[in-house]
Amino acid sequence: MTGQPLSLPIPGVAPGTARRERRRALTGLAMLLPAIVVSLLFLYYPLVFIVQMSFTLANTFLSPAGPTATLENYGAMLSRYLPNLGVTIQLAGLATLVDLLFGIPFAYILVRKVRYRDIVRAFMVFPMFGALYIAFGMRFILLPGGPATPLFELFNIPNTAVLYSLPSVVFAMSIFTFPFMVMNVGTALSNVDPTLEEAAACLGARPWQTFVRILLPLTRAGIVAGALMVFGWSLGTFAEPLLLGSVNEQKTLAWTLYLKGVVQTDYGLATTMGVVLLAFAFVVTYFSLRYSRGALIE
Amino acid sequence: MAPAFERERRSVRITRRCLGGLASHADIWFCLFVCVVPFLALRVYSFTGPGGTSAIENFQYVVGSVGENLFWSIRIAFLSLAIDLAIALPAAYAIVRYPFPGKRFLYSALALPLYVPGAVIGISLVLTFNFTYHLTTSVWGLVLAMTVGTFPLMLTPLIVALKDLPPVFEEAAECLGASRWQTFWRIVFPLIGPGVSAGLMLSFIIVFNEYLVTLFVHPPEVTTAPLRIFNLVRTAGLLPTTAALAVTMQLISFAAVLLFFRVFGTRYLKGTYLI
Repeated sequence: MTGQPLSLPIPGVAPGTARRERRRALTGLAMLLPAIVVSLLFLYYPLVFIVQMSFTLANTFLSPAGPTATLENYGAMLSRYLPNLGVTIQLAGLATLVDLLFGIPFAYILVRKVRYRDIVRAFMVFPMFGALYIAFGMRFILLPGGPATPLFELFNIPNTAVLYSLPSVVFAMSIFTFPFMVMNVGTALSNVDPTLEEAAACLGARPWQTFVRILLPLTRAGIVAGALMVFGWSLGTFAEPLLLGSVNEQKTLAWTLYLKGVVQTDYGLATTMGVVLLAFAFVVTYFSLRYSRGALIE
Repeated sequence: MAPAFERERRSVRITRRCLGGLASHADIWFCLFVCVVPFLALRVYSFTGPGGTSAIENFQYVVGSVGENLFWSIRIAFLSLAIDLAIALPAAYAIVRYPFPGKRFLYSALALPLYVPGAVIGISLVLTFNFTYHLTTSVWGLVLAMTVGTFPLMLTPLIVALKDLPPVFEEAAECLGASRWQTFWRIVFPLIGPGVSAGLMLSFIIVFNEYLVTLFVHPPEVTTAPLRIFNLVRTAGLLPTTAALAVTMQLISFAAVLLFFRVFGTRYLKGTYLI
């Protein structure tokens, strides 16, 4: 009797459990099926479709002779539309920088010193309602005769010098993505034990030393993830350059894509721009998700 | 001499701390103000009448002339939310409760629409609707586009809520003889109610204010309110009536958010991009 395991192996249980496990796995997959089908039909197939189309010579996609493969679209992209890509990346990068500059102190104060956090959260949803409203509102503020006119008169600069310029576009874009940045940095900060800062202060570190030596290294993952996410989102900017930018800012890829694809029906070029935008967004998002906690699914 | 010096130093320290506190609160309120200022400006503008008078008539325009657009927005939001929920409930339940390989990959694949730029979703959908599905004149194309775009926002709060729910309740229900269907609708669904409403709220504010994908895939006879705003701002310039419509849209969305915060708090928004 000694040394006998308490639970005796009953013949027939193991194979049955395996079968049940398999059946449970299949049931789970079956429950996921509608979601998978819908996203295959209306997300993945369309994305594959535009990749295909971007490698097809214009107007041969539906021809009876079959589509002709070509790299011409990408050639045109490289030769003529590189500045558009440049402007898109420049705007997104600048907006991300502005967000970092204002978002990190904001998130720190919000997490460590503020008790009315829910009020702040409630009002922080306003930018998320859409870049369109932000761009519209900013345009009204900056227009001649708008609320900001006295300010312009004070510094003696014409309204349109600010309205149709790079800074106003960047400003609107950074307002739109500010909550996302604060969310990422704030989550990272709230995972840092406040006693570490107190210990640093007790050991004689000045506040900025505590920040650079203790807080920044501990929250680096959250900050990088937030910055990359904001950058990825800003790449698709649409309404802000259109309503607030000059001709130069209106060259952003998303807007050019709309003009080419819907207005001029040049599907080859439009899809190529879409693929380029998609590739950039994916690379950025991949790194962002690798850096962020992302531990929702285990 | 020494105590006076000590006292002075302490008062300097206290003053500095007060100033620091003041500065940090000022920073918070300044950033909040900047976030809300486009809305405030539109609100001010929406009350501007001809000749600088204040006018409530602009809001009559919202119910009258563009009421149809508002109605379309609401209808499309409800349709796509219903489909979203119907797909996301079993998906979230399967992801949390059932063992199967490739779960992480599947979740990432389903969460992908969050990271695809709207213009890319738009162009890919309009081309496939045109060439493959022949959905360009149907409202269902628009509804399905919205469904796919907001699916991760619906799925993530559901997963968070289900993970917070211990399986003992379901086991107890099953032991007491409830069928799996009964267990889900009588036990699980009420208990994950906050997660469901979080998903509904997030998807609602996104779908309700969506103009970019709509611009690409909307059928000719359907113009949603945000798209109407976009078109009006682009073609007619700035008008107080357009501002009134934008203010109405934002107030409806904000009311949804406030209602949710009031009833459930922010816990179930964890993991989604709304804090």
